[in-house]
Amino acid sequence: MTWFGRFRRRAALDRDLDRELQDHLERRTQALIAAGRTPAQARRQAMIESGGAEQVKEAVRDVRGTRWAHDFVQDVRYGARSLRKSPGLLVAAVLSMGLGIGANTAIFSLVDAVLLRALPVRAPQELVVLENDSFTNPIWEEMRRLAPAFSSGALAWSEERLDLSNGGETDPASGLWVSGSFFETLGVQPALGRLIDPADDRRGGGPDGPTVAISHAFWQRRFGGDPAVIGRTLAISGVPFTIVGVVPARFLGPSVGRSFDVAIPIGTVDLVKPGGPQSQLDGRSTWWLSVMFRLRTDQSIDAATAALRGVQPQIREATLPTDWRAEMLTRYLNEPLELSPAATGMSEARRHYREPLLALMGIVGLVLLVACANVANLLLARAAARQHELSARLALGASHGRLIRQLIAESLVLALPGAVVGLTLALWGSRFLVAQLATSESAVALALPLDWRLLGFLTGLSIATALAFGLAPAWRTRRVDASDAVGHATHSRVTRRGAVSGPLVVGQVALSLVLVVVAALLGRTFSALATRDLGFDPDDLHTVGIELRRTAMEARPELATRLGEAAARVPGVRHAAVSVVEPMSGMGWNGPITVPGGPERSGRDRMSMFNAITPGWFATYGTRIVAGRDFDRRDDRGAPVAIVNEAFARHFFGTPAAVGRRVVMETGPGESAELEIVGVATAAAYRGVRSDFPPTLYRPAAQMTGQLPPFLSLALRTTPGGASGLHAAVTRVVRDVDPTLTLTFRTMAGRVRDQLTEIRAVALLSSFFGVLALVLAGIGLYGVTSYGVAERRREIGIRLSLGAGRGQAQRLVLRRVALLVGIGSALGVAVSASLTPLLQSLLYQLEPRDPLTMGGSAAVLGAIGLLAGWLPARRASRIDPAQVLREG
Amino acid sequence: MPILRRARARGADADDVRSDLPQGTLDLLILKVLAPEPLHGYAIAQRLQQVSRDVVQVQQGTLYPALHRLEQRGYLSAAWKASDTGRDAKFYKLTKQGQAQLESGTASWERLAAAIGLILRPEGGRP
Repeated sequence: MTWFGRFRRRAALDRDLDRELQDHLERRTQALIAAGRTPAQARRQAMIESGGAEQVKEAVRDVRGTRWAHDFVQDVRYGARSLRKSPGLLVAAVLSMGLGIGANTAIFSLVDAVLLRALPVRAPQELVVLENDSFTNPIWEEMRRLAPAFSSGALAWSEERLDLSNGGETDPASGLWVSGSFFETLGVQPALGRLIDPADDRRGGGPDGPTVAISHAFWQRRFGGDPAVIGRTLAISGVPFTIVGVVPARFLGPSVGRSFDVAIPIGTVDLVKPGGPQSQLDGRSTWWLSVMFRLRTDQSIDAATAALRGVQPQIREATLPTDWRAEMLTRYLNEPLELSPAATGMSEARRHYREPLLALMGIVGLVLLVACANVANLLLARAAARQHELSARLALGASHGRLIRQLIAESLVLALPGAVVGLTLALWGSRFLVAQLATSESAVALALPLDWRLLGFLTGLSIATALAFGLAPAWRTRRVDASDAVGHATHSRVTRRGAVSGPLVVGQVALSLVLVVVAALLGRTFSALATRDLGFDPDDLHTVGIELRRTAMEARPELATRLGEAAARVPGVRHAAVSVVEPMSGMGWNGPITVPGGPERSGRDRMSMFNAITPGWFATYGTRIVAGRDFDRRDDRGAPVAIVNEAFARHFFGTPAAVGRRVVMETGPGESAELEIVGVATAAAYRGVRSDFPPTLYRPAAQMTGQLPPFLSLALRTTPGGASGLHAAVTRVVRDVDPTLTLTFRTMAGRVRDQLTEIRAVALLSSFFGVLALVLAGIGLYGVTSYGVAERRREIGIRLSLGAGRGQAQRLVLRRVALLVGIGSALGVAVSASLTPLLQSLLYQLEPRDPLTMGGSAAVLGAIGLLAGWLPARRASRIDPAQVLREG
Repeated sequence: MPILRRARARGADADDVRSDLPQGTLDLLILKVLAPEPLHGYAIAQRLQQVSRDVVQVQQGTLYPALHRLEQRGYLSAAWKASDTGRDAKFYKLTKQGQAQLESGTASWERLAAAIGLILRPEGGRP
């Protein structure tokens, strides 16, 4: 019979053994009777000879080797039964464990996905990325040519939003421009068909014409996973591309947190984006490609860097821009090129979320500590209450080891449901978090499989936690003495419990304070950002991104004006206007400004942000013009004019009174225009919610002939709630103006919300954990204080009978609470002060050691402590001295 | 509630066997006794005592753990059968594996006994 069989069939085996020994006894009895003894004598003799039936059975059971397992099962059952008697403890412990484990696992799975995990490609450790964002196509082509000298492969890519519609409202898709070597060098195999290869990456398309490989998710979403998709065409900016294959599901692209829908060869960029006088492939100052290399197996990153720097002058010479001024040219590609490991991929997401994620990891780590302290405290209280029981069992012959094993089993009874709750929370929580981090523009695409590392992390956490709090009571039983079983055990040991749980509660208070401080800092940052006056009113402000694919440069200013006027006539629209740059879109347009007769400025000091707008733009955005006038149609053919904001006026003139002054704006290489300032507007947000409002100069779009890019932003100020039917109506009027335009609708409120995504998620979570920590600290304090009152009942009763007032009794109890909270808070403030500077980059207009936040948090904790102490204190003051003395 | 410290009936206590049995010897003796025919526990004890002329007396606290150990190792198989008295008894039977163990055990015992004899016998002389 196997070990497991013996374990399972214990009852049957015991019955069998019983019968066997009974048979032996009877045979011996019979033999003794036959030898002449009386039956009674014979039976007695046989039983003495056997050495005791129970002892024999025990010895046989030992042989089976299943005892420890049965003991364990028994311990677990006993633990479960005794925990059922205190459901409060069970729920509190399981929930705090579960929250601790769940939160840690959820955040860790994000940290893992965003910061740690290697790209799902062949030998990711061999990949290195060329530092410094992006490079021009001529540089890439030169590097590709020279790559065999210093690497075993090179690849380039660029991410861009593409439009899959054929005019009308845009059908946006995430595009990935890839070099022909991209998939091959990464070692990504197709899930279906083939992927882009070097033959596809030729100007204007390869032998199969323009080709596209689609992502697995896009294949499922768009084509329902139809295998017949190969060979079909997909319109990208109206140009037909042939689908050649599907990229496997696990490859989401080189950028962590971002996925792509379509991958198309770099060589076809001119088909999709005609327009400019110069091809994007030949543009020597169009920086748009990221570059990666694959090292040779035995090659170090330093060796590759050195080799790359060796050919850097060659690359530089071959790609020098022709239209740059001499002073600029000296800076061109002169910094030594730098390679860095790229095993985990590149990531905008990583840059964005690194700080928030690490902050959250720290926060949930603290939460776990608080939860552990709480559970340890609860179990300590329980162990103290069970001291009598434990002593009794020691007295009856149980070994210390046996008791400790049992306490550990009870801890596991708590930890396992905790782990299950934690796992559930983790699965749900990480998805919730990813959803929180998504913006209206782009979902955050992260592979979050439940992999072995995650499971290992979870299991490790639960075991460590189980031991952490399982050993605290177990360690105490070491000192329990069998002689204590005689009744007064609890009296003689009480003070020791205080000695153990006092520091625990102090630690808990300190950690909770840290969490509350962090939550307060992040919450205040969020509310400051969310309520910041942006200089315009984002509510009821809709924007429409418009692409001018087929509109000649010269016709663009006129088109902008007509669009603004046409949109203003849509019902429900109060104002409408067009600009080149849409505030908060992340796009920027800047250039140097000269003030005639003003001081000489250089570098950033002479830079201003620009925008080109149509009349009524300020009214549409709700930005006030504080002096002068708005643009109007008379400016179309009039003298060159500009409106500046107050930040501009103060920066360049030192006074807001700028109307009538003149500035010179550079309009192109060697070209400039002198402008008269006709109005001053209030400063407003340009790029983002967090940034300062920059000096900005606005030009009438009508005066910018030949300078407008092939995209515009149409802004619509609607009546409150006037958005219904807006898309259709605006699409109609825009198509009336020009049917080739493509539109992307957004709301400004959505843009603002998107910028607050990370801080909102972090503030929300940290507040949740802060409140949780407060509750746990409150429970801990309440428990310790109640226990303290129960323990000092006699003392308080005697004091009362000797004439102490009720108030004195309360103060006696509250003094201890105040001491614990005081020490804990002091410790917490110290810890906070040393930790919060790590949050610096997340905060807005707030010092990490903001005294108000620290003081406020300490006050909140003090109030919680007072409340937690007040209930037991009241109980203390109601002790009946007469009764206590009678109990004496 | 697992509160009792088990007073173990330890195997191989000195007074189990009138003359000390070297470690593992009891197993070998049991296998030998069972070689001719299957027996129940009581009969095994009787047989050992008879054959050794009362030198080997095995107590139940030693015998039954040994029997169960041998059964777990696959040297013995056990079955309830009617005995000569008409009552059912648990009969232990030597398995093929047990037979092999008996042979190798006997061989090594004889080698050991001979070696010990060589050492204990006075040099050059006869007792």
